[in-house]
Amino acid sequence: MTTQTETRPVRRHSRRPRGGSSRWGTLGRALPWLGPTLVLIAGVVFFPAGYMAWTSFRDLSQFGVDNGPAGLDNYTRLLEFTALSRVLTNTVVWVVGVVVVTVLISLGLAQFLDKAFPGRRLVRLAIIIPWAASVVMTTTVVYYGLDPFYGIINAFFVDIGLLDRPYGFTRNAVPAFLTAMGIAVFVSLPFTTYTLLAGLQTIPTDVREAAQMDGAGSWATYRRIILPLLRPALAVATIINIINVFNSLPILQVITGSIPGYNADTTTTLIFKFIRADRQIDTASALSVVNFLIVLAVILVYLRVVRPMRED
Amino acid sequence: MRRLVSLAAASVAMGLTLTACGFGGDDDGGDGGDGGEGGSTSLDLLVPQYSDGTTALWEEIIASFEEDNPDITVNLEVQSWDNINDVIRTKVQAGEAPDILNIDAFSGFAKDDLLYPAEDVVSSETMDDFQESFIENASLDGTVYGLPMIASARALFYNQDVLTQAGITEPPATWDDLLAAATAVSELGTGVFGYGMPLGSEEAQAETSIWTFGGGGSWTAGDTITVDTPENLAAVEFMKTMIDAGATQPDPGATDRTPMLDVFVQGQIAMAVGLPPTIGQIEERNPELNYGIAPVPTQDGSPVTLGVADHLMAFRNDDDKQEAIRAFLDHFFSTDVYLSFVDTEGFLPTTMSGAEGTANAERFADFLEVLPEAQFYPSTNEAWAATQGALQSLVGQIQTQDAASVLQQIQASADNA
Amino acid sequence: MAATTTSPSADPAVLQVDGGRPARGSRGRRRVLMAVAGGVIALVFVLPYLVMLIGSFKSRAEILQVPPTYLPQEWLPSNYVDMWSTPETPLPYNLVSTIVISVCATLLVLAVAAPAAYYTARFRFPGRLVFLLLVLVTQMLQPTVLAAGLFRQFVTLGINDTWLAMILVNSAFNLSFAVWIMHSFFAAIPRELDEAAALDGASRLQILRRVTMPLVWPGVVTAIIFTFVACWNEFAASLVILTTAENQPLSVALTKFVGQYESAWQYVFGVSIVGIVPVVILFALIEKRLVAGLTAGAVK
Repeated sequence: MTTQTETRPVRRHSRRPRGGSSRWGTLGRALPWLGPTLVLIAGVVFFPAGYMAWTSFRDLSQFGVDNGPAGLDNYTRLLEFTALSRVLTNTVVWVVGVVVVTVLISLGLAQFLDKAFPGRRLVRLAIIIPWAASVVMTTTVVYYGLDPFYGIINAFFVDIGLLDRPYGFTRNAVPAFLTAMGIAVFVSLPFTTYTLLAGLQTIPTDVREAAQMDGAGSWATYRRIILPLLRPALAVATIINIINVFNSLPILQVITGSIPGYNADTTTTLIFKFIRADRQIDTASALSVVNFLIVLAVILVYLRVVRPMRED
Repeated sequence: MRRLVSLAAASVAMGLTLTACGFGGDDDGGDGGDGGEGGSTSLDLLVPQYSDGTTALWEEIIASFEEDNPDITVNLEVQSWDNINDVIRTKVQAGEAPDILNIDAFSGFAKDDLLYPAEDVVSSETMDDFQESFIENASLDGTVYGLPMIASARALFYNQDVLTQAGITEPPATWDDLLAAATAVSELGTGVFGYGMPLGSEEAQAETSIWTFGGGGSWTAGDTITVDTPENLAAVEFMKTMIDAGATQPDPGATDRTPMLDVFVQGQIAMAVGLPPTIGQIEERNPELNYGIAPVPTQDGSPVTLGVADHLMAFRNDDDKQEAIRAFLDHFFSTDVYLSFVDTEGFLPTTMSGAEGTANAERFADFLEVLPEAQFYPSTNEAWAATQGALQSLVGQIQTQDAASVLQQIQASADNA
Repeated sequence: MAATTTSPSADPAVLQVDGGRPARGSRGRRRVLMAVAGGVIALVFVLPYLVMLIGSFKSRAEILQVPPTYLPQEWLPSNYVDMWSTPETPLPYNLVSTIVISVCATLLVLAVAAPAAYYTARFRFPGRLVFLLLVLVTQMLQPTVLAAGLFRQFVTLGINDTWLAMILVNSAFNLSFAVWIMHSFFAAIPRELDEAAALDGASRLQILRRVTMPLVWPGVVTAIIFTFVACWNEFAASLVILTTAENQPLSVALTKFVGQYESAWQYVFGVSIVGIVPVVILFALIEKRLVAGLTAGAVK
């Protein structure tokens, strides 16, 4: 027990496998463990990903018939797209806003749910529900509730006197975008909270007790002891959230889909406007490639700055 | 160096799997899966969902067809309107188009040279039975590719009680009448809105077309798409006048058609442009609604309406399926089968025998009456699909922006297509 | 140390760490307060689904009534019976399809991801980071955009419109998060534990099963839920790959209730509720593992 508490669990644990020191040897030993993952990814993901990249350099008809190479035309068309700067700004606001708020609330929720109180199990079950439900359905029911005519939420606001008459939450770019962000936070909370909660479980109680005995106050304990130990879980939750929120389509599509113009679009929803409204599959492919490169860059920067793997 | 090694390992693994997948192989494994035994043929049929009865209706039609043609099986795939374009695009892109498709526009496929000419896949009797105006709208460069399947037209639905309450005795025939009537209703202060204007992305192109056609405008001049014309601008500016005068429901720019009609059916909107199925909705939802149907108001009161036809089309996948396709399509357009479809779904027939035999002649009299004046979308124009998309996603901006600049944006999209 | 101590007043309910030992009475009161706060939190998370549940009992007309009704004027539990035999979609098949695909894909992910997560967390080897990054990269691709390529791939393989295809798709695309989640938990386990086990002569697999696994249960459970839920609600690929109505999962079946002019929202809501229940049950079953994670490992 003592050894356990004295070990900082996030300490670097990597070491070389025992046995042969040659590079091929170590790789050979790694392959049985990693091979299945590589095979599955290579077999299923590589082709469609490559296909997407390839179509971004082709000239496709509106129904996908290939009319030959297009060089960089699809990318040029993207740059010429007039609303691009607004869409990029929206994307930044969307990702940063949703992820930061989600992580902050989740930290509090996880801490709360880590403590024993009557009915905790039920509260934990309740929190899982937005995760269990499909995002499309959660969004649809909120959209339905906010409808100015038959929406229950809107009617409720009017009945309690918060509004004089139903407000078009989903009918104008800014309120609709904020509503969508709220929903995105809501559906991201369960996963984030649970990852952090699971992270808290791996922190031995005696670590906290030892800290407490030092006389540290709760906030100090949290910041200096708990938070650093939560780092691996926090980092993974953040990475997954960044990627998911960046690629999130259904929430904005449902909430802001009927709003004209591009004021409530992110790069991801713009891809689908290119496909569905403008019928430009090739331009959409180009934007998908750009989209992928952006999120890749963001994640690489994140990994570099936060160093969740503690590699060096 | 380390990275290089692992990258190499990864690419070897990839290579192995890709080889195993036989990627790039043009082996005709496409239809090997589903029973092509002996002389039997299987046809893939992809259709959209018109109503909750659509699947059952098609299953019935297929069953009766397979009974007559035991060597042909038909595989039905039904998709919602929301998804069918994604599905068909994916299939076409992969070279796996269905044999028969039911959808609104055929011209994109015809342009891509994917379709059989209509006369190759139906008998001459079937071909001769189509009404002339629909055949015209189903042709590209003189060749008929689409088989006009169902039609609908638009008309003004009005709530008689609310109009009476507002002191309006006759349904409006001109734009000015409409503005006056709608404003009068809105000013009653009963919470009922005058005119339902759905400019949300669902069907904004339809609402806009009704107005521009009603002002003598058009979306084409010869081979070019013309959005930003004086006639169209006048129409769109009048729409904006309606919005600014408070004659419409709030936020028309983001209101979709289907929910708007729901609100009309429940008596909370006094006037709205509806379609034949709207009658059925009123019967089901609110049979007490005291409503009337009138021609769509136009600038000078002369009748014009928007006509829409959906089509069946046959893809040229394997030549040996042509006979089976012909058998199926002839079966579909045989009068009894065809009428069972059109009448059950509640649309207007596109064939002459159908027009004579339809059980809905009386019920749809108001629509059949305006049908001869119907104008269609220029869906045979290559740039129309993109223009329609731009209308759907941009025209609602007139709520907050200048009408001319909105039309310019849409014109730019059309020119880009 | 003591100098940096701050008062616990910041937000005691949320931040105060267990282990401070207040007097009995105040502790009891705090538990009640926490239970109340918990109730409020639970309500917030359940609210949208309550709207959904109530809507699922309304009639087709009432669900779009203007102005809306909070509670159904006429409760229609029959919606939950009728939805299984609607003309739109063969719902019992859709449910089976969803279950088979999700369960198989989750098991496959677990079987494939756990060894990879374990090895990358435990050992340093050339390309370790590249591997983890490669795995993560698969997740950065927008699934809906990939659907076209996936469809083409499976047509070539001749397994289009099969459960197998969707099991593979779901596994491959959820692998990365599963690897990363489990990796972070494996990495947080003190390695002295398996060193001790290794001294006892246990093989690496035995170590994984007997020593490490119990300790990383919280992480494994999180990964399982994550994967299962993602498979359960997958839509974009299923839409194009599964063409036969009987093969399609609930997520695709739901869209069939949305017609061109009319939608059966009461069924949409009802089916959504039905879709939530199995996941919540699954979670209720394995949630104890989450709590028990650490203690299970410590008892050797």
